[in-house]
Amino acid sequence: MDRDSFLTRVGRASITSQLPDPVSLSVDLPELPPADLLVLFRSRSQTVNAVVHGPVTRHGVPRAVSGIATGHDASSFMAWDDLPAPGVPSALQAVGMDRVDHVVPSERRTDHNLGYRDVGVGITGAEAALAESGSVVLVHGEGRPRMASLVPDVHIALVELDRLDRTLAHWAQKNPTLVTETTNLVLITGPSRTGDIEQRLNLGVHGPRHVHIVMIK
Amino acid sequence: MSQPVTFLGRAEALIGTHEADAVDRGVRNFLELREKSVEELPALEGLRDRARAIRLHALRHLDRLLTHFADQMQAAGGQVHWAEDAADARQIAADILDRTESLRVVKSKSMVSEEIELNSHLETLGLDVIETDLGEFIAQLAGDTPSHIIAPVLHMTREDIGRLFADELGVPYTEDPFELNRIARAHLREVFLRADAGISGVNMAVAESGSIVLVTNEGNGRLITTAPRVHIALMGMERIVSRWEDAAVVLETLARSATGQRLSVYTNVITGPRREQDPDGPEEVHVIVVDNGRSRILAGETAEILACIRCGACLNACPVFRTAGGHAYGSVYSGPFGSIVTPGLHGMDPWWDLPFASTLCGACEEVCPVRIQIPKMLLQLRQQAASEGRLPGWLQAGIARYARMTVDPSRWARAKKWASRLSGLISTGGWIRRMPGPARGWTSSRDLPRPAKESFNDWWRANRGS
Repeated sequence: MDRDSFLTRVGRASITSQLPDPVSLSVDLPELPPADLLVLFRSRSQTVNAVVHGPVTRHGVPRAVSGIATGHDASSFMAWDDLPAPGVPSALQAVGMDRVDHVVPSERRTDHNLGYRDVGVGITGAEAALAESGSVVLVHGEGRPRMASLVPDVHIALVELDRLDRTLAHWAQKNPTLVTETTNLVLITGPSRTGDIEQRLNLGVHGPRHVHIVMIK
Repeated sequence: MSQPVTFLGRAEALIGTHEADAVDRGVRNFLELREKSVEELPALEGLRDRARAIRLHALRHLDRLLTHFADQMQAAGGQVHWAEDAADARQIAADILDRTESLRVVKSKSMVSEEIELNSHLETLGLDVIETDLGEFIAQLAGDTPSHIIAPVLHMTREDIGRLFADELGVPYTEDPFELNRIARAHLREVFLRADAGISGVNMAVAESGSIVLVTNEGNGRLITTAPRVHIALMGMERIVSRWEDAAVVLETLARSATGQRLSVYTNVITGPRREQDPDGPEEVHVIVVDNGRSRILAGETAEILACIRCGACLNACPVFRTAGGHAYGSVYSGPFGSIVTPGLHGMDPWWDLPFASTLCGACEEVCPVRIQIPKMLLQLRQQAASEGRLPGWLQAGIARYARMTVDPSRWARAKKWASRLSGLISTGGWIRRMPGPARGWTSSRDLPRPAKESFNDWWRANRGS
């Protein structure tokens, strides 16, 4: 069907439509002071099986990250080029981990993809973190591959303290145009999970089994 | 397998089976999760009001929102297609796959794709189509249909799944859910990375930015929109909100109502295909906007049901769904909302009996995150079925006679006297255990108290009346 006739039909339908009037709107949750936000974020992350580390100083980040990675016996990693703290990839290479190339070529794409099969760790930098749900917000783009938080067994997200907000609704209100500026934005709330087999919680069904969040002072 | 054509027929075949037991157990778990999450956030009530207002606003201005969405998505490099009906939508999807030479197709959960029966169509064209949501993957492997919109294999036990994996994937039998999960992960990982195209649904589109939002807990919705060259999204035309801030409110409400989570694990916002500087992502993004009966619903009395955000809360709350399970509804969309959507999309014939598959207890409306007046619409559809003469003759005649009786006091008094006298013949100890004729069904699972010997009016006249 062509666009115009489709939309004309929808427009005509909405004329005779019998929709009720909405009720009046209520207000949002109040904003929280930064210290309370961090406490809430920590506890809510724990509920969704994510682990919060720090806050550490910017210089302490490479050591914190390589500590987590070696704790999981990872031998390879993917990392964003654009991270909120310097020196992370070289710290991981220094402990003997291989860096996996993350630029997907247009040709022979599936051959490249198969190289992602067994990546151990992925490191990303969060645009924001949401205290109420224990989520991190990743904005993808140049030097920021989507795969880094998706195919590895362990995902480590770096978050600056002042990027904490209370809920998705609060954050979206303050950043109304961000989704237009990027091809892909994702909110991540804990490790990949399913309850499809007899409602038993199972972590790491397709995405990472472990999510670590390193807070930066 | 030939299916009975009525809700009652299908339900009677299911009740008491281990499928129905599994559904009841599973649903109770969902209800507990939801209650926990609702208790914790007093502001949820406010969130529901806002979500309702946002959804109703979108429906009122649907043509304008869709226009804006399409313009913005196209500006971002995506393509938007318009499908009048199921055949149209299947054709568009097949054409895209053909043109892009895609043979291996991976799918994340999409109710619309089930509604338009996309898989079987693509399979007849020789394409390899694999469901990647764990529950849907299991259902596909079993050659079964999903029975719950959030938990597709709610009706299967772990032993069922263990046997299935052993038979179909050639792995040793296990009934350990963790081991079963590991097997599926390893099997599907290869499938994702080798796929040419990914097909997803759309939880919500954002008109202002031209974005589509996909919500999953497993990560399959992200993998199929990242790894393959081509991404095709199937979108029911009503799944849209005006702004990103509106989407945020609806997303919070959705997660809490569906599974009691504060947000689903992955909320994926896609605005067009990979741009030049992006390291990954699909080369092409297509959105197929599907009408398939929705404009007919929008034009009529049940338009409000299009505000539904597909959380599944009304299924879990419904005593009929919990007793009979999703398969009893015979349609992709089951439970209370399905009993309105299904006759709306596909016509009253043969679906007119679904609105009767409810006790009208109102639990569905109470839990609905957008406060849809489900019982009211079920009644409207029942009325429509009656006025179209679809009820069995004895029922229609009986109700008409009952109606005449109740509006005339002297007739009503006479009827009560007769009811009291006749019931004396078939009752024992004040209870009727078996009603005669078509009323037998009512007493097949419960007893009916015998009407009192004397009516209250008679008693009042004899004792207190002046």
